[in-house]
Amino acid sequence: MTEPLVVLEKVEKRFDDFVAVTGADLTIGEGEFVAIMGPSGCGKTTTLRMLAGLDAPTSGEIRIAGKVMNAVAAHERDTPMVWQSLALFPFLNARENVEFGLKMRGVDAAERKTRAMNWLERMEIAEFAERNVETLSGGQRQRVALARALVTEPQLLLLDEPLSALDAHLVIRMQSVLTKLQRELGITFVYVTHSQSEAFAMADRVVIMSRGEIAQVGTPREVYRAPATRFVAEFVGRNNILPGKVAAAMGGSVTVETALGAFAVPGEAAVGADASIVVSADMMQVGGGENTIEATVISEEFVGSIVTAFLEAKDGTELKVQVQERVLADLDLTAGSTVTLGWATKDGHLLVEGT
Amino acid sequence: MRSRLNLYALTFRLPIIVWQALFFIGPLIFVVAMSFFVVKNYRMVETFELESWAKMVSRDYVWSAYRYTLLMAGSAAALATLLAFPAAWFLAFRCSARTRQLVILFLIIPFFTSYLVRTFSWYTILAEAGVLNGAFGLFGLGPYKMLNTAFGTLTGYLTLVLPLVLILQTVTMANIDDRLIQAARNLGCSPARTIRTVILPAGKTGFVIAALFAFILSFGDFVAPFYLGGSNPPTMPILIIDTTKAGQQWPRAAVVAVMMMLTLFVIAFSAIMYAYRKRASR
Repeated sequence: MTEPLVVLEKVEKRFDDFVAVTGADLTIGEGEFVAIMGPSGCGKTTTLRMLAGLDAPTSGEIRIAGKVMNAVAAHERDTPMVWQSLALFPFLNARENVEFGLKMRGVDAAERKTRAMNWLERMEIAEFAERNVETLSGGQRQRVALARALVTEPQLLLLDEPLSALDAHLVIRMQSVLTKLQRELGITFVYVTHSQSEAFAMADRVVIMSRGEIAQVGTPREVYRAPATRFVAEFVGRNNILPGKVAAAMGGSVTVETALGAFAVPGEAAVGADASIVVSADMMQVGGGENTIEATVISEEFVGSIVTAFLEAKDGTELKVQVQERVLADLDLTAGSTVTLGWATKDGHLLVEGT
Repeated sequence: MRSRLNLYALTFRLPIIVWQALFFIGPLIFVVAMSFFVVKNYRMVETFELESWAKMVSRDYVWSAYRYTLLMAGSAAALATLLAFPAAWFLAFRCSARTRQLVILFLIIPFFTSYLVRTFSWYTILAEAGVLNGAFGLFGLGPYKMLNTAFGTLTGYLTLVLPLVLILQTVTMANIDDRLIQAARNLGCSPARTIRTVILPAGKTGFVIAALFAFILSFGDFVAPFYLGGSNPPTMPILIIDTTKAGQQWPRAAVVAVMMMLTLFVIAFSAIMYAYRKRASR
């Protein structure tokens, strides 16, 4: 049987009246790096905890390596987790923390030490092996937590926002450590985060969750360029969303009648259906294009080489456009000025509501 | 500016400093000094002689009382720790925070009544014709001698310390970061095994402090060994009473008191060092 490593089927988790996760169908292949992403309270951490056996699904089935896991206790699984709080044992030194999982599996002391030291060396923190974990820096503790989770050589590693407590520059470093590790080990990483940049930077596939449901599963590029729902379009990236109704449809292209005019967009939809056109901010151009909208500049946000300008169309629709900082000077984007925004028809993405 | 600030701080610390000097350090110095006084013609003479020390330290009954008191107080601390642990574990991990608060309130209520009254109530239970022996009698057992035995003394000690140990242990365990226990389970540790691998080491400070309290209170207790243990064999506090009664030997009683205080200092210091010892860090 060549079933994917992890299979979730119609998984639901309720806490009393609160539905944390519902109707979750998901498969994760061996060696995949999957990021589960969404705003807080979307059910992403609950999903991860169900994989670890720390929460039991109310209904549905979870299989890992072909085995139904619903009734398997947390300590009988091999699904180590890297915790948001790291949850290192303060009463053990760094090496003893790493040895913990091996000790629980009855590995003898000498081998435990060898294997733990190997991992500490691999994580480049061997010199801190005998140190109290509370005296280590955030980045070093992070590495201890990773070594502790990986020392038993699991097929599946669960990560719950492990980088959220680190400084921005350390996050970038740890991202490359994680992707490198995952490639070298060839094991499956399931990574929960609310950060789009972390998810997109590392994951092969991202799972976007909203209010306990999986909204979209796809590669970062798919999710970014072709959001499946309005929530995904709003949550991922900087998208301009123009809601309307399908006015005409023919040969792989439809015309959507919006409050700002009728625009053509590639896709298929029935005439009369509620639909939106999604144009990502970096596909918008100042000056004009196949489709154009007049808008007034409200403000701009400078983060370096890319500048995002926030504009407002005459009916109040918020619009965003991203331009290179070096071309900014040629454009009249001072607050209050009116400009024409445009985009190529092929860069628009059709979003049919209710799908 | 700095000195004014210090003066300001001192104003508020002064009462506690005065209190400590008046009611703790003062009497302590007095007791130590008194152990070097001598009694002549039933009158205490303020002097500096080693007579009382020489007398007390050379007597076997002092040392056997000392050993017995250490053993009994140690047993009380160990028993209280073991007896309280399952209950505290249940309260900390299997009860809601509300239930826990309610139970802790009930555990504080015994302290409202005098310890002496609580000790006397054991009389009716432990006596030869008491409640327990009555119950045993129904099964054709007994009567057992429970009053005026080491068992009686321990019962008294536990009456004094068990509620306190239970409260301290419960609070200790309720404050252990649940994520550590979950992390242990995630790494293959069964729920029962988390007691040894996480709960005991994570709560070490609290457990040691609770046991230390049990030891200190039992070690210095006069009521339980006197009323429930029948003073036989005597403990150190009973030795103090006996010595003062016999020929106004206050200096000898002070010797016993100083021996007890030195013992408690050593034990409390070692226990606290152990409780707060962190992982060695290079």
